[in-house]
Amino acid sequence: MRIESCDQFEALRKQSLEIEANRKQQVLVCCGTGCLASGSKEVAEAFADEIAKRSIDATVDLFVKSTGCHGFCERGPLVVLNPQGILYTKVKPGRVEEIVEKTLVGGEVIPGLLYKDPVSGERVEQYGEVPFYRHQVRVAMRNIGRIDPTDILDAIAQGAYSGVAKALFEMSPHEVIGEVATSGQRGRGGAGFNTARKWQSCKDAPGERCYVLCNGDEGDPGAFKDRSIMEGDPHSVLEGMIIGAYAVQANEGWIYVRDEYPLAVVNLTIAIREARKYGLLGENIMGSGFDFDIKISRGGGAFVCGESSALMRSLEGKTGEPRAKYVHSTDKGLFDLPTVLNNVETWAGIGAIIERGGAWFASMGTERSKGTKAFSLVGKVKNTGLIELPMGTTLRHIIYDIGGGILKDRPFKAVQTGGPSGGCVPEELLDLPVDYEELTEAGSMMGSGGMIVMDDRTCMVDVSRFFLAFLEEESCGKCTPCREGLKQMLHVYGRIIAGKGQAGDLELIEKLAAGMQLGSLCELGKSAPNPVLSTLRYFRSEYEAHISDHACPAGVCRELTAFEIVEDGCDGCHLCYKACPVDAITGVVKELHVIDHEACISCGACLDVCPTDTIRTFPKHELEKAEVV
Amino acid sequence: MPTLKVNGRRVIVDSDATLLDAARAAGVEVPTLCQFDGLEPWGGCRLCVVDMSQANWDDDWFKVVTACNHPVDEGMTVITDSDRIIETRRVVLDLLLARCPDTPLIQQWALEYGIEQTSYTPNPDPDDCILCGLCTRVCDHIGVSAISSINRGWGREIAPPFNQPPPDCIGCLACAEICPTDCIPFETSTVRRKIWGKEFEMLRDPKTGEAVITKEQAEHFAERSGVPMTYFETSDRSKRREMAKTFEKLQVVK
Amino acid sequence: MAETPCSDLSKAEEILGRYPQEEPALIQVLQDVHRAYNYLPCDVLERVAEALEVPLAKVFSVSTFYKAFSLEPQGDTIVKVCTGTACHIRGAGQLVEELERQLGVGPDETTEDFKFTVKTVNCVGACAMAPLVIVGEKYFGSAKPARVSKYLAEGGADEN
Repeated sequence: MRIESCDQFEALRKQSLEIEANRKQQVLVCCGTGCLASGSKEVAEAFADEIAKRSIDATVDLFVKSTGCHGFCERGPLVVLNPQGILYTKVKPGRVEEIVEKTLVGGEVIPGLLYKDPVSGERVEQYGEVPFYRHQVRVAMRNIGRIDPTDILDAIAQGAYSGVAKALFEMSPHEVIGEVATSGQRGRGGAGFNTARKWQSCKDAPGERCYVLCNGDEGDPGAFKDRSIMEGDPHSVLEGMIIGAYAVQANEGWIYVRDEYPLAVVNLTIAIREARKYGLLGENIMGSGFDFDIKISRGGGAFVCGESSALMRSLEGKTGEPRAKYVHSTDKGLFDLPTVLNNVETWAGIGAIIERGGAWFASMGTERSKGTKAFSLVGKVKNTGLIELPMGTTLRHIIYDIGGGILKDRPFKAVQTGGPSGGCVPEELLDLPVDYEELTEAGSMMGSGGMIVMDDRTCMVDVSRFFLAFLEEESCGKCTPCREGLKQMLHVYGRIIAGKGQAGDLELIEKLAAGMQLGSLCELGKSAPNPVLSTLRYFRSEYEAHISDHACPAGVCRELTAFEIVEDGCDGCHLCYKACPVDAITGVVKELHVIDHEACISCGACLDVCPTDTIRTFPKHELEKAEVV
Repeated sequence: MPTLKVNGRRVIVDSDATLLDAARAAGVEVPTLCQFDGLEPWGGCRLCVVDMSQANWDDDWFKVVTACNHPVDEGMTVITDSDRIIETRRVVLDLLLARCPDTPLIQQWALEYGIEQTSYTPNPDPDDCILCGLCTRVCDHIGVSAISSINRGWGREIAPPFNQPPPDCIGCLACAEICPTDCIPFETSTVRRKIWGKEFEMLRDPKTGEAVITKEQAEHFAERSGVPMTYFETSDRSKRREMAKTFEKLQVVK
Repeated sequence: MAETPCSDLSKAEEILGRYPQEEPALIQVLQDVHRAYNYLPCDVLERVAEALEVPLAKVFSVSTFYKAFSLEPQGDTIVKVCTGTACHIRGAGQLVEELERQLGVGPDETTEDFKFTVKTVNCVGACAMAPLVIVGEKYFGSAKPARVSKYLAEGGADEN
């Protein structure tokens, strides 16, 4: 089975394309982690059952393909029918028989399963017409949702490894770096360092050998683009790494996958095994004379291991303690040898850049941020999911046109980008074009591409505290400013949120923030103050309300907030009664319900479910005043 | 041999020198806690931060780096007492004072930087460990690695495996000796030694009966150096006597 | 810290046989050991230190650094609540509280009958399905506190 020449590869590709073309009907069932959580495995099984029941030829007449994450997780399980191009959403196993009968056999569309636009109310039939997909330009995620990630021939049919063939047989390593330089691609993990420059540094560094690594430790909560790529198209990552290894003349590589992504580990393992079988990894790739193999290393559960020097320590079997930055990894990285470490999305884009040319990639995006970027749009937005767009798209377009606007049409408050190292961008900056420098200037960061949309029911003080608590758990503890600083910041925030904030607390926070930014050893500590500083910049009044008025304007901080059902609006639907975890609400159906303030824990579950929006929040201290009176 | 400026003073140092070496050569004091001559610099305490500008950078573009491990470069400008450096050191000491409010070394350093009481929430159950890592680093350096740092973040601690007497410890007391706050307790006598909960028997000089070294330490050194155990069993005093006798003999021969 | 040896080292020997006997293999070995024994037994750690020629103190350091590892026996089923940002703002805290109400244990604690261990995870990457509860191998997206008992029943059953 080993491919030993470029011609053999071409022949295999054509053969695989023919097999795909010969299939009369294809049903693509999304089996990424998101849809699996909604039960898509059972949907795929239901299709298999139908095929057995009807004795259909499953290779030609009805081919069921389990694909990776389409990105529209909110509407999963997702099913795409080809050649019709129809997208069915929220498909339950019970409806599969109907789909086969009505649509596949009868040629009729089932309106109830189509995507319904939340603004216009219209049903959209075609996958490509759904606004969520229509606006996207998928480069790194080009094949996700189209291929079965465990079938290498399917991937090859869709173009996988064509970039490898071109690089190995038509280009020199120098030319490969040149093409990537033309593309202007910058690292997609967050730091945004120019890819070609990194490769060149490694190539120039002295050393008996060098390594290429893939950072699959996507630790930013809210970001899952790397997971989708590793699960849904592992071949794009392997392809990129082979091309990169060829450019810097590395013979060994590792993909570091975080422990919390088991499906990614499985699919990458299968992909590597298949690639080796076909001679696309290992000795003498495609008969080119170039040797390169990849191993997988699983993380142990540490966000700090997303930091490049900590990742390398972890690969060496040590604790994930970062090293001082004066020694660049491209000079001394893994095992103290020159190493190129790039993010999953960065690698995934390389194959396309080589195949279609760097100029094509550079034709998209902005002056300083070329190409496309994957974003995970999550939080209080109607269409949550994964999207890939040209750099320079505005936040407004992403949140409203693609995201469909705020959940329950509540007012927009901020969008948090860049994970725990990033910041919150307020409404007045919604027309900001997404670009590395623009986001940094606004006090945030591109980061991994996580975009968490927040509404008026989000307290910015609580959001900052959340990130600080996250980082405090993840800090390696080596350096004083980060280890002690995070703990002390949390003490101050704890005071503020409990209504015990003191005068001078904000100045204390700002002083500590400066010390952490300048004094910390690595970016975790250095950028930890970012959410704090950005929320102070744009939402200072919220902090002041907590400290001076002992009130949480968003009605989130439990010790400061009490809840009340307004008499006028309540229609006795009884939903709040059912939602309350501590039985603090009394009331009979169709009659006014009442919250017992003594029992109420201020969790807000009632407000979240109230359909008439009649539950209001008010400062808890007003209860005491009322009692005194 | 690069030339650089530290606080305006010109110095010439070896090419493999650090900024700390350069500062010392210039007669400028830079405070340190986790640094120790002879051990690889670690860059953990962050007290030794300085402002640094490379020769080819704009004159007013500086970067905050730790002096203990940053390499020197031709034409570098180093400032050890800029406002932001002093302020950063202050934050570091203020934070350490919160962790170790009863530790004299930290109290002294904090006072030097104008801090009498921590601005932060003091540790309710403090000890004297400032997590400088010197103990584990010297243990690694000796080639024993009996103790290590466990957990991560604020819960990080120095401990033997499973908090039990460490099987690899040779009782050399290097960790206790190097600890800047003397927070590693140990007992030692002519007969016995105890540290990290592990007990050791002392080897005694066959002639004088003085306690010299633990058996495990002697074995470790003998293995590493190839020198016979008996060398390590002899006390320094006995060694000097032997040496004197040898010289005496030489005298006679002459 | 109480020592919790396991006495049956055969699984550990088999695992050690799969990897090169050197330090870089340490974390992969520990993960396989954790999967096989449901925790990291102290006598297994001693054997691993010996086999990979890594000082025991360093093996212990690595075992306590990474969140994936527990030095104490865990429950038959691990219940994970994702506490990433998206899950946090969509109510992950309420899920943790509900689990505590139902099982009587908080994060990193195990029920007395050793059936369940509750853990919080810092983002599993299913953010569009926030908030998330994972019982054993089963993922439950858009999780609600009212359905927690259902998740425990379904996910726990799978393990057996």
